[in-house]
Amino acid sequence: MNEINPDFAAKAGQTDSEQLSKSNLGIFLAELGRLKRIVAGFGLSPSDGEDVLQDVSIQALKRSGKYRSREDDVRWLIKVTVNRCLMEHRRRRSFRRHAQEILRRRAKFGAKSNRADEKAIVVEELEIVRESMQKLDDPLLGPVVLRYFCDLNSKEVGEILGLKPSTVRSRLREARMILAKRLLERGVEP
Amino acid sequence: MERSCEEIREMLVDYTDGQLSPGEADKVSKHLTECRNCRRMLNALQKSLELADVIWADGLEQTKDVRVSIQSKAKKIHWPRYAAVAASILLVLTTSIVWRALVRPAKKELSFVDIERRINESASAARLLAAAELLAEYSDNEAIVKEQYRYIVDTYPQTSEAVKAKLKIQ
Repeated sequence: MNEINPDFAAKAGQTDSEQLSKSNLGIFLAELGRLKRIVAGFGLSPSDGEDVLQDVSIQALKRSGKYRSREDDVRWLIKVTVNRCLMEHRRRRSFRRHAQEILRRRAKFGAKSNRADEKAIVVEELEIVRESMQKLDDPLLGPVVLRYFCDLNSKEVGEILGLKPSTVRSRLREARMILAKRLLERGVEP
Repeated sequence: MERSCEEIREMLVDYTDGQLSPGEADKVSKHLTECRNCRRMLNALQKSLELADVIWADGLEQTKDVRVSIQSKAKKIHWPRYAAVAASILLVLTTSIVWRALVRPAKKELSFVDIERRINESASAARLLAAAELLAEYSDNEAIVKEQYRYIVDTYPQTSEAVKAKLKIQ
């Protein structure tokens, strides 16, 4: 069995053949960073994320030969990854790391969010949002992750999830209002 | 909550995402300067997204080290090939079984008469062989002795005594 570690292969330039770059596997390797972002957006643990990406890579290999356009294939990859992440989310394995653990690691490794400012993050507030995301319904979580964490617009999110852009926007409104209201209901004054 | 607040809250998410028309965005902005509750909601919307981003960023930090092993070639099971091989084996086996069943001679069933005849033949051959051996021991006439043995071979060829008689002749 010939195995390629995509991270290493990408760095070492072992997968730079034209054929591979056009194949679904090549697209998978090229999009791996984005797919990992989706996995993280759904709050999966590293081991669950590994399983998901492994499955997606196998599906990409099986789909070889059905090449249409790169855009279609990327959309397909994201869709498969989102569906697979939702499966894991349904098993209630998502967002298992509690706020304290997140903040402890954040302090240790100095990880910084793009959006979060440098104000101190209150554990309770973070925990409220974590719980809210954990409880968020599938139809709401997917659009939220793709729109706000993967920086896709409503049209792109709709194309991936098979929804109208207007439906995506209404789901985004609903999801964000849920998260915001839960903060206010628990007495957080932003 | 006033009617206008309800309308504004419907638009708040699109407002933060920059999805409103300039006219709608102006309307929301004006309302926000006057309404404390809607400002609170706007802040909560922003705060919740910031906190979600912290959670996502933590997940990404952990996920970036995830490795995926990929088979460069998908294992393909060639079902038609396997089916053809299996069919060939089955055909050969079936032909062989049928052929053997047709060609193999049927075993003769022995009757009691045959059994009795064989026993009698063996007994007679044994008696004659014993007599011939006595003759060979006490007589010098080799020709007569050999004739006795030959008689056993010719008359009872299927017996073990015939085989012994043949050896004596040689």
